[in-house]
Amino acid sequence: MTQHKPPTDPSWFEKPQNVRNIIIALVVVCAALALADLFYDNPHPHFDIESSFAFQAWFGFVTFVVIVFLGRLLRMIVSRPEDYYHDNDC
Amino acid sequence: MTTIANLPPGLIMIFGALLLPLFARRAQPWLVLALSVASLILFVLTPAGEYGNIGLFGGELNLVRIDHFSRPFGIVFHLAAIVSAIYALHVQDTRQHVSGVMYAGAAIGAVCAGDLLTLFVFWELTAISSVFLIWASDSERSYQAGMRYLIIQVTSGVLLLSGAIVQFVETGSLTFTSFVDESGGLGLAGRLVLCAFGIKCAFPLLHNWLQDSYPKATVTGTVFLSAFTTKLAVYSLIRGFAGFEPLILVGCTMTLFPIVFAVIENDLRRVLAYSLNNQLGFMVVGVGIGTELAINGTVAHAFCHIIYKSLLFMSMGAVLYRVGTTKATELGGLHKSMPWTTTFCMIGAGAISGFPLLSGFVSKSMIISAAAEQHMLGVWIVLLIASAGVMEHSGIKIPFFAFFAHDSGKRPKEAPLNMLIAMGIAAAGCIVLGIAYPLLYALLPHEVDYHPYTVTHVVTQLQLLMFACLAFVVLIKTGLYPEEKRATVLDTDWFYRVAIPNVVSLARTAVVKTDGAIRSIFVTGLNEFLAKVDDGFNEKGLLGRTWSTNTMTFWASVLLAASLLVYYF
Repeated sequence: MTQHKPPTDPSWFEKPQNVRNIIIALVVVCAALALADLFYDNPHPHFDIESSFAFQAWFGFVTFVVIVFLGRLLRMIVSRPEDYYHDNDC
Repeated sequence: MTTIANLPPGLIMIFGALLLPLFARRAQPWLVLALSVASLILFVLTPAGEYGNIGLFGGELNLVRIDHFSRPFGIVFHLAAIVSAIYALHVQDTRQHVSGVMYAGAAIGAVCAGDLLTLFVFWELTAISSVFLIWASDSERSYQAGMRYLIIQVTSGVLLLSGAIVQFVETGSLTFTSFVDESGGLGLAGRLVLCAFGIKCAFPLLHNWLQDSYPKATVTGTVFLSAFTTKLAVYSLIRGFAGFEPLILVGCTMTLFPIVFAVIENDLRRVLAYSLNNQLGFMVVGVGIGTELAINGTVAHAFCHIIYKSLLFMSMGAVLYRVGTTKATELGGLHKSMPWTTTFCMIGAGAISGFPLLSGFVSKSMIISAAAEQHMLGVWIVLLIASAGVMEHSGIKIPFFAFFAHDSGKRPKEAPLNMLIAMGIAAAGCIVLGIAYPLLYALLPHEVDYHPYTVTHVVTQLQLLMFACLAFVVLIKTGLYPEEKRATVLDTDWFYRVAIPNVVSLARTAVVKTDGAIRSIFVTGLNEFLAKVDDGFNEKGLLGRTWSTNTMTFWASVLLAASLLVYYF
């Protein structure tokens, strides 16, 4: 994504300042969500791990990263040129 | 009303479809819409019950069974047909209108079928009518993909029919009820029917027809296709195999493997097909768990899923319609010129990911909670992983690479008005179901005692989703997120598109060579024999050479003597 030149008519979503603000907002929201765990109790936990601090937060983060890396691994195995089936007429 | 109730719901759509070609082209899409609306009104007005009981060959058929299971599916199928019809209002292709509305009608008839034979008839009709939505792309690859699709779908129907026959022979009844016996096992009929349902439900290893065919259908055809076939299979699984435990494992596998494929797939409509597979996994897990909460969750999830999945396919269809491709490598920055499509797509992406206030949140969580209530830690973890996976491919990848990411420089026009209206209705549906969820819960088969909006649930779900977003940002910023690449991703279709044809062609070569060898041995032998014969009859041969008159006279005398002797005796 880095090799692309900046667009000539950047929209609101493309201005670097706004992108930075979006990312800052995301980090703030994530921090707030993790900290929110301190302020409530799960009334019906089914598993011990559910009650540990910010479980779904780190689980979501780690899972996402693992999925993406598994994807990179899978690409090495099953990725072929686009006209592999000789039917690329779309 | 009672007479009409005896006819399968959706039948007016099927017969209406046959009459469509008689009307002017411009009227056809409107008639499709009118047929779908009329069928919905009839369906809603028909009270629950069993209708159309007729005896046939000693068996009892039950054409129409409307109960707590078929009602929600019938309603959402009608809604999907109506939205798809609006989405296709601009299309001037008789084939697509006929097959689209007939396909929807067949699916509706199938979920209301009370016996296996009626189910089989509609089951095959969905296959045969829907293939034209793929063929209507009018390209060699869509023709080939359609043929593969048809073969696989018809095979599923044949298995269903075999199961029905075995069931009839064993029990004397064709009624479509649970195949699971008291010990939790299956008889022969159950196994055959499970294979039939498994193919249509895209079980692992049987799944690839979906990714192969759906993305090759027309812009509007894919929207029709995404709604019916697989959810008909989910309905059938609920009816026939609720609580069949191996389905939990099957469902877990289905939720997991497509999310990895979806990461590397470049064609965004194929990404959506993998995502469809993953969503079906949640439903199959729900069927396998089989408790009231799980079945409620499965039906609710199928209902919500049909709407947000149609929305996502519609948004990608709009991109395909305007840009001519849905390859991530060719797209990006489309939000500038297609703001409405972008907004609707993001609502669909939010709904499928399960953001609070949107439909996925109130349905998927029922299945996950059902796993938790049964203390299935492994299943619960798998479903959380799958939820993060949905966030990756449908929540982020689809909208991000199509509408944001790097600017492709393309500035297509906004989607046509009818497409926007259809997407707007579906998006509104996602929001309404997410907020006014009691409306949905009232439709479910069992009494619902489930409250999605608890502090715990909202916070934990948001943690999962927002930290997944954070992971995406980190990976993009560090350059670790794999770049989109133009490529073909191999899947199980490789076996029947490359491996099996290769083996067959090797076998054919072997047969041809063996045949050639046998022929050449025979020809050599024949030639040698002919040469010997020739040796005998040529001018130097024993029989062919010129004989002297003496010899001739001698042999003539011998012959005369012999005939004289024969004459005397």
